[in-house]
Amino acid sequence: MLQGPFFIPMKRFSLLIILLAVLSCRKENTADNSLSPAYPDYFPAPVYQFNNNTVNKDRFELGKKLFFDPVLSLDSTISCAKCHAQVHAFADHNVSLSAGINGLLGTRNSPSITNMIWSPTFMWDGGVNHIEVFSVAPITNHVEMGESMLSVIRKLNNITAYRTAFKKAYNIDEITDQAMLRALTAYMSMIISAGSKYDEYRQGKTSLSASELDGLNLFRQKCAGCHSEPLFTDYSYKNNGLDSVFNDLGRETITTNSNDRGKFKVPSLRNVELTYPYMHDGRFWSLREVLDHYSNGIVISPSLDASLQHSIPMTIQEKERIIEFLKTLTDWNLVSDQMFNK
Amino acid sequence: MKKLLKNLFAFAIIIFPLFMISCEKEQTATEGTVLVKLNHGWGMSGTSFALNTNLVHPMNGDTMNFSKYKYYISNLKLKKADGTFWVQPESYFLVDLSNSASSSISLNNVPVGDYTEISYTLGVDSARNVSGAQSGALATTNDMFWSWSTGYIMIKAEGTSPQSTNGSFSFHIGGFSGQYSAVQSKTASFGSNQLSVSGEKNTEIHFNVNTAMTWCNSGSCAAVNSVMMPSALSLQMATDFNNGFVFDKIVE
Repeated sequence: MLQGPFFIPMKRFSLLIILLAVLSCRKENTADNSLSPAYPDYFPAPVYQFNNNTVNKDRFELGKKLFFDPVLSLDSTISCAKCHAQVHAFADHNVSLSAGINGLLGTRNSPSITNMIWSPTFMWDGGVNHIEVFSVAPITNHVEMGESMLSVIRKLNNITAYRTAFKKAYNIDEITDQAMLRALTAYMSMIISAGSKYDEYRQGKTSLSASELDGLNLFRQKCAGCHSEPLFTDYSYKNNGLDSVFNDLGRETITTNSNDRGKFKVPSLRNVELTYPYMHDGRFWSLREVLDHYSNGIVISPSLDASLQHSIPMTIQEKERIIEFLKTLTDWNLVSDQMFNK
Repeated sequence: MKKLLKNLFAFAIIIFPLFMISCEKEQTATEGTVLVKLNHGWGMSGTSFALNTNLVHPMNGDTMNFSKYKYYISNLKLKKADGTFWVQPESYFLVDLSNSASSSISLNNVPVGDYTEISYTLGVDSARNVSGAQSGALATTNDMFWSWSTGYIMIKAEGTSPQSTNGSFSFHIGGFSGQYSAVQSKTASFGSNQLSVSGEKNTEIHFNVNTAMTWCNSGSCAAVNSVMMPSALSLQMATDFNNGFVFDKIVE
């Protein structure tokens, strides 16, 4: 008979076999910890279909851990959350141009990453075509996190807590970039802003004040051509008359078409009260400055959007009303929701 | 109780080998393996391609010393003599000339039979460029992915050249849509040499890849030492690379 430390007594061995046989026939433990995006019925169907990446609590929590972890950057100084802060509806704050590692500055202000599952493209110039590969851009950009994907994955594989978390969330022993990107997607896809006063108004749960309603009507006349409801963007690219000489070619960088010069993606106006500074380069610090730009500051250039050729005439009072309405787009539930916090 | 356990043990002993047997393959071969061997040369004079070696371009005369030469080949399929196709599932390969093993692509589980041609795509088809995070050969950790303008790089060649104004060159050729899409599908007929898959031994399809072709129309590195995005030039270079990728022979 076999002896020694690895010998399993006969009786126990046969029991073990039976136990293994029984276990192998069992389905996976399907304890319901799944999460799915919740949004009102007047929202369109999301672009992201969660194929091969259904969200559950493990994946969401892992994505959150990654989102807040500066290990994703070259020198472990910058996390995703640094430039996408919850208190500012996941946009950058306090600076015009978002700073990367070693204080390096790019040419753009980090936009809000709420409601990403509805976005057909990502980045100000729309260069990224899928939410799952979106994170590769800031991680590898030399003036953002400045890291290589290979190095990030190596670092994560050296951290036991991550190996455990990836095993739990994706059932893998070796962390892959695909799983990391999907985990980040699991977190980001749940950052949905649909709980503003405007939404409560749309659902008949509250009413807007007379001046807010005035503002809504003015908004629909003057702004909704691009910032269409309910997501407050049509996801198109526009040259909105900021410059005639462009240090950032915007959409042209991607398409190489000079007709796209200086065009940037129309940003959503949800939470716009919190996402200052405004424009792709964060040049305006207040909503009033933005509206003044559209009424009096349009700079003519060949690719200027047709709707802005004659500016957007607005009186001071109209601007005030529009701003009052825009503040009803602030989702205070989202910015204080503990679910998204570290 | 003791007897019951004994019986169970005997049962387990009988059952266990049955499990093992059921995992074994059947003896009669219905499938075989085909190897696609890529022989990388430099020019037409029989010079082999090598990294970290001075290579003189046969047309423009540049001296090029490559530190990196990688490219994608995908969507391999074989045409049977009866006109139907065997399509390789998950057919994505990164050929990295720093890793000789990647120059031999294995087509597994090919049904036994005779085949007349092979089709393939140089680069990565558009579907995989728009479908989010991928794995294996298509993992972003392979450093063949444009993050700022989503898409796989088809050919990445980097190195040094005394003709270059800054001493180095870096060609990243790719793009999967629009007028400058670098992705190209191609078919190579085996002609009179049919490929017979018997399942008894591996059969090989040999290609000669003239790696110098990529620069046969691009001019000297003195003029252009960097391509980083899709353009008319990058499309020209992709086409030239493709033309340098030529079926050689079947080896049984």
